[in-house]
Amino acid sequence: MAEHESESIQSSSVPHASAVHLPAPTVWPMVLALGIALICTGMVTHWVIALLGLLLIAPAVVGWFREVLPSENLVHVSVSTQIVPVSSSRAARARSPHGINHRKLLPIETFSVMAGIKGGIAGGTAMILPAALYGVIRYHSIWYAVNLLAAGGFVSWAGQSDAFLAQFHLQGLLAASAIHGTASVLIGLLYGAMLPMYPRKPIVTAGFIAPFLWTGLLYSALGVISPILDQRINWLWFVLSQIFFGLVAGYVVNLQVKVRTPQFQALPFVVRAGIHTSSADDEDPL
Amino acid sequence: MATSTTALEAIDVTGPTSQPPGPGIVYQWLTTVDHKKIGLMYIVYALLFLVIAGVQAMLMRIQLAVPNNHFVSPQTFNRLFTMHGTTMIFFVAVPVLFGFGNYLIPLMIGARDMAFPRLNAFSFWLSAFGGVLLYLSYFAGSGLYGAGSAPDVGWFAYAPLTSKVFSPGHSTDYWTLAVLLSGIGTTGTAVNIVATALCMRCKGMTLNRMPLLVWLYTVASCMVFVVVSPLSAAQIMLCLDRYLGSHFFDTQAGGSAVLWMHFFWIFGHPEVYILILPTFAFINEIVPVFSRKAIFGYPAMVAASVGIGFVSLSVWAHHMFTVGMGPAGNTFFVFATMVVSVPTGIKMFNWLATIWGGKVIYRVPMLFSVGFLFQFLIAGLTGIMLSSAPFDWQLSASYFVVAHFHYVIVGGIMFSLFAAFYYWYPKMTGRMMDETLGKWHFWLFVIGFHLTFDFMHIPGLLGMPRRVYTYEAGRGWEVWNFIVGIGAIVQGIATLIFVYNLIHSYFRGKEAGPDPWDAWTLEWATTSPPPDYNFAMEPTATSARPLWDLKHPDDQDSSYE
Repeated sequence: MAEHESESIQSSSVPHASAVHLPAPTVWPMVLALGIALICTGMVTHWVIALLGLLLIAPAVVGWFREVLPSENLVHVSVSTQIVPVSSSRAARARSPHGINHRKLLPIETFSVMAGIKGGIAGGTAMILPAALYGVIRYHSIWYAVNLLAAGGFVSWAGQSDAFLAQFHLQGLLAASAIHGTASVLIGLLYGAMLPMYPRKPIVTAGFIAPFLWTGLLYSALGVISPILDQRINWLWFVLSQIFFGLVAGYVVNLQVKVRTPQFQALPFVVRAGIHTSSADDEDPL
Repeated sequence: MATSTTALEAIDVTGPTSQPPGPGIVYQWLTTVDHKKIGLMYIVYALLFLVIAGVQAMLMRIQLAVPNNHFVSPQTFNRLFTMHGTTMIFFVAVPVLFGFGNYLIPLMIGARDMAFPRLNAFSFWLSAFGGVLLYLSYFAGSGLYGAGSAPDVGWFAYAPLTSKVFSPGHSTDYWTLAVLLSGIGTTGTAVNIVATALCMRCKGMTLNRMPLLVWLYTVASCMVFVVVSPLSAAQIMLCLDRYLGSHFFDTQAGGSAVLWMHFFWIFGHPEVYILILPTFAFINEIVPVFSRKAIFGYPAMVAASVGIGFVSLSVWAHHMFTVGMGPAGNTFFVFATMVVSVPTGIKMFNWLATIWGGKVIYRVPMLFSVGFLFQFLIAGLTGIMLSSAPFDWQLSASYFVVAHFHYVIVGGIMFSLFAAFYYWYPKMTGRMMDETLGKWHFWLFVIGFHLTFDFMHIPGLLGMPRRVYTYEAGRGWEVWNFIVGIGAIVQGIATLIFVYNLIHSYFRGKEAGPDPWDAWTLEWATTSPPPDYNFAMEPTATSARPLWDLKHPDDQDSSYE
C-alpha cells in the first residue's frame, strides 16, 4: 500500500510562490524555564544556584515580553505551492446490478439514544413489581429485595439475617434506589446505543436477548460484585424480573418516534418528500 | 485499479523547505517554537527516559528472579522502584503523548502552529528540566545514604514517609520539585492543546468533523486542568512541611497522611485516563485506516470520551479502600469505578465494529493496535475486579495490583504508542520504518509482555506484596518470578530492536511520500516531513475525512452529513 501510494502522488506544477508569517524562534522560553528550574535546584543544592536562576528569569521575562509587544516578532517563510493529484489505492469496481428491494445495510430511521433511556427508566420502574412480589411471597415483606440490593454496599450487612433484610431501613432504601435507578438509566443508555444495530425488533432485543446476556454476565460476576447478593439471589425470579424489565423497556421504546439517520439524506428527493416510499419502510415492530 | 483525482481545493502538497539560515542546528532546536520540532523533542526526550526506566525495571526483575537474592542492596531497590515509577509516568508517558499531540494536532486541524507557540516551548523545557533535576539527585543529592541519593519513597510518596523525620536529606525534595516542574509544564501544554483545538481549526472543520484524536487530546487536556492542580498544591504543601516546618502531612502534629493520599490520587487515577485517552486517540486513527472503513459511531466515541473524562474524576479513592473510608465512601467509589467501564466498553465495541467487515491490512501499526484491544480488555477486566472493595481488601498492595496497572500501561498505552510510532514515523521523518524489524519487535514484545504480566498476577494472588526487596523460598512465588524475569528480558530485547529500527530507518528507510497509508486526515495532505508552515494554503474540511472526500469525489462523506 505504501509504495503504491508514494508513487501515485506527484507534483505537477508550481503555480505561484508566496510567503507566510510564522512566530520567530526565540531563546527566552527556554531561558525562563532554565531559570525556574535553577531556583528549584538551588533549594536542594546551594543558594547560589537559585540566585543564578533568578538572574536568568529577569532577562527572560523582558525578552519574552518584547517578543510579542509592541508587535509580534514574526519571520517570513517563502512558500512554493504545488497543486498535485491526490489518489487512493482503493480499487474502483463496477457496482453489481441489484434490484430495488436489495437489502440496505444502513437504516434510514432508527431509535434515538433518549428512547433507550426512557425505556430503561420505565423498565426499571416496572421491575420493582416482580421484585416486590418475590419479597412478599417468600419473606412476607416488600423490603427484602430492596435491602438485598443495598447490602452490596454495606459490608456490615453481609452477616445479617433474612428477618433483618425484611425490615424497612431508610439507608437501605436510599442506597437501593441509587443503585437501581442509576443501573436502569445506564442499561437504558446502553440499550439506546445498541438499538441502531438492531432497529427492527426492539421488543425481542430488549425483552429476551438483552436480559439473557445481562443475566449471564451477572451470573458469572455477581460473586465478585456483591457476594451477599450472590449467596441469597433467586435466579428464577431474577430472570423473570429481567424479562419484565426488558419487555416494558422494549414496549416503551417502540412507542417512541424514530429519528432519521444520515443515510436518509442520501435518498432521492421524492422519497425524502414522502411522495415515494423507501423499501426499508416495511419494518416489523417485533 | 487505483482511483485518482486532482486536488483543486485548498489542500495541497508543498515542496520541502530548506533549513532557515541561523547560527547552527543546536541553536535552532534550542530556540524553536515550531510545534513539530517541539513535538519531536518531547518524543526523543521521553524515549531517552524510557530506556533509563526500562533498565531500572530490568534490574528490579533480576533482583526478584530468584529468592534470597542480593543482586542490588535494599536501599538501591527502593530507589529503583521509586525512580522507575516516577520516570515512566511523569517523564516518559506524559511527554511522549504530549509530543505526539504537539506534532499532530495542528496538522490534523489544518493549522500552522499551536495557539501559543512560545508557551509551548516553555512548557517543554520546564518538563525537560524537571526530568534532569530528578536524575541530578543521583549525583548531587545530599541524602542520608551518601553523596548520591535518589528518591526512595515510592512514586506516590505516601506521608508520613516523606516527612523530614523519615526521609532526611534532600532526596525527597528532588522528587517533589521535579514533579512540580513537570506538572507546571504539563498544564502549559494542556492550555495550548485546548486553545488550539477550539480556536485554530481550518475552514469547514466544525467540532463534529474534528478528528477523534484532537477530541480526545482536548478531553485529556481539560482533565489536566482539574487534576494536576491538586498535585501541584500538594507538592507545594509538602515543600512547606519539609522546608518551613508546617504540618499538613505531619501526623504527629495534627496533620493528615490521608490528606496526602486524597491529593495524590485525585491526580493519580485520572492521570491514568489522561494517559489512556491519547492512546485511544491513536487507535481511533489507526484502526479505521487499516480496516479501510470509517470509524464506527463517531458521535458515540466523542460522547464516551467526554463521559470517561467526567466519571474518571470521581473514582480516585478506589486506591484507598484499605484506609477505612466507611460504607458510604466505599460504595460510592466502587460504583463510580464500575460505571467508568461503560463508556470504555462503548469504545471497545466501536473499535470492534470498525474492524468488523473491513478489509483489514495487518501492517505493524495494526498489529500493535489489535494487541492493544486484546490486552486493554483484560486490563479493564482486572480493573473491574479490583474496583470491588472486598476483593481489593485482599489484594491491595500486592503484585496483582502491579500486574493490573502494568497491563494498562504496557499492554494498553505502550502498545498503542508503538502503533503510533510506526504509523506516524513516515510523516515525521519522510521514511518508512522497516516492516520486518517491526514484526520482530511486535511478536517479541507480545511474548515478553505476556510472560511478564500474565504470570505476575499469580504471585499477587498467592500473597506476594509489592515493593518487597526479596523473599524466602518455599512460598510458591519462585517459578512465577523467574518467568516474569525472563519475560522482562524478552521485552528489553524487543525494545532494543525498536530503537534500532528507529535509527536504522531514519537513514536507510524507504521514502514514504506524503500519504503512505492511503489515509484520510489532513496531516497526510502535506509533505513528509511537513514544511515549517504545514500547509501553503489553509485547507478546507468538507467532512470528518477530508482526504477521503478529495480522493473519492463520487462518494464523499460530506454527502451523508
